[in-house]
Amino acid sequence: MGKVSLVFFKEDCIGCHACEVACKQEHELDVGPRFIKVLERAPLYIPIYCHHCAKPPCKDACPVEAISRNEQGIVLIDEDLCIGCKACAEACPFGAMQFDDDKEVAVKCDLCIERLKNNEQPACSKACPTRCIHWGDMKKISKEIEGSLLQG
Amino acid sequence: MGEVKKIRTVCRSCHGGCGVIAHVKDGKVIKVEGDPESPISHGTMCSKGLAITQLAYHPDRVLYPMKKSDNGWERISWDEALDTLAEKFKQVTKENGAESIVVGQGTGRDYESHLYRFANLLGTPNVLTAGHMCYVSRVGATLITCGNLPVCDYEGEPKCIVMWACNPQWTNPDEYKGEGFWRAYIKGSKLIVIDPRKGFLAKKADLWLQLRPGTDAALAMGFFNVIVEEDLYDREFVDNYVNGWDAFVRRVREYPLEQVEEITWVKQDLIRKAARMYATTKPACINWGVPTEQTLNCTDCTRILTGLMAATGNLDAPGGNVFFVPPPTRTVSEFARHKDLPPEQRAKRLGGDQYKLASRVALITPKVAWDAILTGKPYPLKAGLLCGTNPVTTRANAKEAYDALKKLEFLAVIDFFLTPTAELADIFLPAGTWLEQNHVADNWKRHGYVLARQKAVEIGECWQDHKVFLELGKRMGQDWWDTVEDALDYILEPSGLTWEEFKGKGYLKGDQVYYKYREKGFSTPTGKVELHSTILEKWGYDPLPKYTEMPESPISRPDLLDRYPYILNAGLRTPTFFHSANRMIPWLREIRPDPIVEIHPETAKKHGIKEGQWVYIESPRGRVKQRAKLNDGIDPRVIVAEHGWWFPEIKDPGHGWDISNINILTDNSHESMDPVMGATNLRVLLCNILPCEDEQEGTRWERFL
Ligand code: SF4
Ligand code: SF4
Ligand code: SF4
Repeated sequence: MGKVSLVFFKEDCIGCHACEVACKQEHELDVGPRFIKVLERAPLYIPIYCHHCAKPPCKDACPVEAISRNEQGIVLIDEDLCIGCKACAEACPFGAMQFDDDKEVAVKCDLCIERLKNNEQPACSKACPTRCIHWGDMKKISKEIEGSLLQG
Repeated sequence: MGEVKKIRTVCRSCHGGCGVIAHVKDGKVIKVEGDPESPISHGTMCSKGLAITQLAYHPDRVLYPMKKSDNGWERISWDEALDTLAEKFKQVTKENGAESIVVGQGTGRDYESHLYRFANLLGTPNVLTAGHMCYVSRVGATLITCGNLPVCDYEGEPKCIVMWACNPQWTNPDEYKGEGFWRAYIKGSKLIVIDPRKGFLAKKADLWLQLRPGTDAALAMGFFNVIVEEDLYDREFVDNYVNGWDAFVRRVREYPLEQVEEITWVKQDLIRKAARMYATTKPACINWGVPTEQTLNCTDCTRILTGLMAATGNLDAPGGNVFFVPPPTRTVSEFARHKDLPPEQRAKRLGGDQYKLASRVALITPKVAWDAILTGKPYPLKAGLLCGTNPVTTRANAKEAYDALKKLEFLAVIDFFLTPTAELADIFLPAGTWLEQNHVADNWKRHGYVLARQKAVEIGECWQDHKVFLELGKRMGQDWWDTVEDALDYILEPSGLTWEEFKGKGYLKGDQVYYKYREKGFSTPTGKVELHSTILEKWGYDPLPKYTEMPESPISRPDLLDRYPYILNAGLRTPTFFHSANRMIPWLREIRPDPIVEIHPETAKKHGIKEGQWVYIESPRGRVKQRAKLNDGIDPRVIVAEHGWWFPEIKDPGHGWDISNINILTDNSHESMDPVMGATNLRVLLCNILPCEDEQEGTRWERFL
C-alpha cells in the first residue's frame, strides 16, 4: 500500500461529533485525550485532527525520538519511549497531539492502523454521516473531495 | 477468552432506526459499529448510538428492581415489585376507577404498542406522552386533514427540499435519519432552510429564511399567498382533491406579504423567492420539525404545511411528501387494542372535551394530569406508571410537574437510572437498553420499514420494557402472551414470518405505491384533503387554519418588555443528548459538559457577558443558569437555550433538576396551549439574561470528575 493520509473536508462537517466517539470507542480512550475534536462555531464546524505531516514538527521536537513516521506515512508514537515532556504537543501546528494524564505520555491518532491492516476504513470515517472524512492515498482523497465540491 | 460474536441489530438511542453490528465477547458488548447493509443509515451512526456501551455498563445504572423505604432505596425481587404494582392498581381500580391511574411515556423505546395495550386493557384513558407537542400532534393534525402523515420521500429524489424548523442531521429524526436527507441533497437538490438560527444547513441553503421563533404558521401562509397570487398551484389537484379551497383562499388573502413580513421578520422578496422555488421545482418535499408543533399554532401550522404539499401537487408524489406503505405486519394500534377501551372510560379522558384532537389520538396533555393531581379536579389521579420519561425536566412548567409527581400517592418508574423523576417514585423497575431488547423495531413509524432489533446481551436483572408490560399485564389478568417473542410472532403474522425468521432477514419494506388517492381518495370524511376541516367544524373549532400570536410575545405583552426584553427559544437540541438523556455518559459529556445558551454578541456586550460565562436566564416564572455562547447567527432579540438538563453527578435526589432546567421558565397555562391538541409552547416566551457574578469559571462537570 502507498502512503495513506486523513483529510476532513470541513465544508461538509455538521459538527455531530460521531467521529470523536467512534475514535474513543475504537481506541478505548477515557475522558481526556481526543484524537479528533470538532469545534463548534456555527455555522462552521472545525475538526482538529492529525494530518500525518510529511515532515512532522512533533517528531522533530521530540528529544528522545519517540515519534516516527512509518512507510505508509502514518505518524506514530512509541509510548514506552515517551518521557511525557509535551514538546510534541507544543510543536504540533494543528493542536492534534494529545496527552494521557494517567499514563503520563503523549498519545495520538494512529490512523486506525489495526483497521487498515484488515482492510477496514478508519473508525471516524466510517461513522461520519456526511462522509466528509477521507482517507487513503492522496489521489483517492483528491478525487473524492473534487466530487464533493461538484455536488456542494 | 472467548471469540467476538457479531450481532446485527438496530439502535434506539434516539427514535432509532440505524443499523448496528454489536460485537459481543464473553457475554459483554465491547463495541458497536454501523451496519453498512442498513437501508436507513448505510453504516453510519451518531455519537449517542456509538456511546451505548458507556450507558449500558455505566456504574450508576440500576440493575435490579427497588422500593423506597424509610432508609432510602432498597433492592427487591421482580415478583415483589410486580405484585406491589398489580395490587395497587387493582385497589385503585376498585376504589376510584381505572381512570385514576395515569400511564406515561417519554419518547418511547419502541414499546408504545405494549404500553398502550396495558393501559387500554386496564381501562385507563389517561396516557401521558410527549405527543401533545411532538410528532403525534403532527400525526393527529395530518390524520384529520389528509388521512395520514406525509413524509419526505428522499429515495424518490426530491429536486427541492424545504427544511422547515428541522435539523435531522443533528438530532431526533422521526422517520428518516439525516443521512437519507444528505444522500438526496448531494444528488443536486435545491435547499430552502427555515430556521431562526444559522446552522450548517443555513450555510448550505439556496435560501435561508431567518424567522421570528414561533411564527411558522404565518410564514406558511405567506408562501400560500404567493402561490395563490401567482397561480403556482396544481389546479387539477385542487379542483378534484381539496375540500374548501375557495374558503381557504379567502383566509390566505388575510395574510398579505407586508403583514407576514411584520409578523415573521422575513423579508417579503425572500418569502416570494422561496415560495416560487418550492412551488415550481418538482418534485419538492417539506421536512418538518417539532418547533412547528411547540406553540399554540401546533395544529394549524401542520395543516397549512400539509396544504402546501397538497396544493403544489407534491402529496403522495414520488420525491414529494408521501404516505409510505407499511410492510404487512400488525399495527401498533391493533396490537394496542385501542378499540377495546370502553366508551364510558374513553369519555373520562382528562381534558378530552377541551383538547379533542389529543383525545382522538389517545393521549392527554400533561397540564390536565398535574391539575387532576394537585386540585383533585375533575377527579383525582391516584397512581402512576411512567416509562422512560423525565417530565420534571422535559415538560413545560417543570415546577408544577415536580409538585404533582411528588404529591401522587403511588408512582412506579421504569428507567435505566435514578433520574430526578425516578427519585420521586415508590417503585423503580430497571429497563433494558436496546442492546437488551428483541423487537420488531420502528413499527410505529410511517416510513415503510420494520427492523429486527435483536438482543445482544442481558445485563443484571434488567428487562426490556415490553416484558415489564407483559408480565404486569398478566398479573392484572389481562390478555398477553407467554413470552416477548410470542408477541413478536403475533405482530409479524401477516408477513408470514416468525420472529426467528425475521431476525435473519433484518428488515422488511412495504411495497411503495404512489398517488393512492387517485384510486381511493384520501381517508377523510370528504375523501379529500380537508383544508376546510369537517372534523374540526364538527368539534366546534375554526375549520380553517390561521396564525395566532403567542400570548407572551413582544407583540402581545409589550408591558413585559422592560423586564423581559428577549424572546426565549427554550429547546435547542444537541447531537450528543436525547432530550434529558445521556448527561452521565463520559464520552458525550466531555463534548458537552455544560448547558449552553446562545446569545448574540451585541446582546452579550450590552449585558457585559463574556463567552463561556455562566448567566441567569429569567422569565416571569423563574430563573435558571446556563453558560453563554456567543453566536452571531441568531437575531439579537432572540436567545436560544438548551433543554433537558439535570446533573447526574449531583448525588442528592434532586440531581440539580432545577439549576439549568429551561422548563422552569416555560408556561403551561391553558391560554398558552394549542386549543385542539394541548401542545405546550416551548418556543416563544419572554426572558431576560444577566451575568452570574458568583459562579466560578470552569465547567460544572469537571468539578465532579
Ligand atoms: S483515523 Fe482512527 S485514530 Fe485517527 S482520528 Fe480517525 S478514528 Fe481516531
Ligand atoms: S462525523 Fe463527520 S460531520 Fe460529524 S463531526 Fe465528525 S467530521 Fe463532522
Ligand atoms: S441517529 Fe439515532 S438511531 Fe442512529 S445511531 Fe444515533 S441514536 Fe442511534
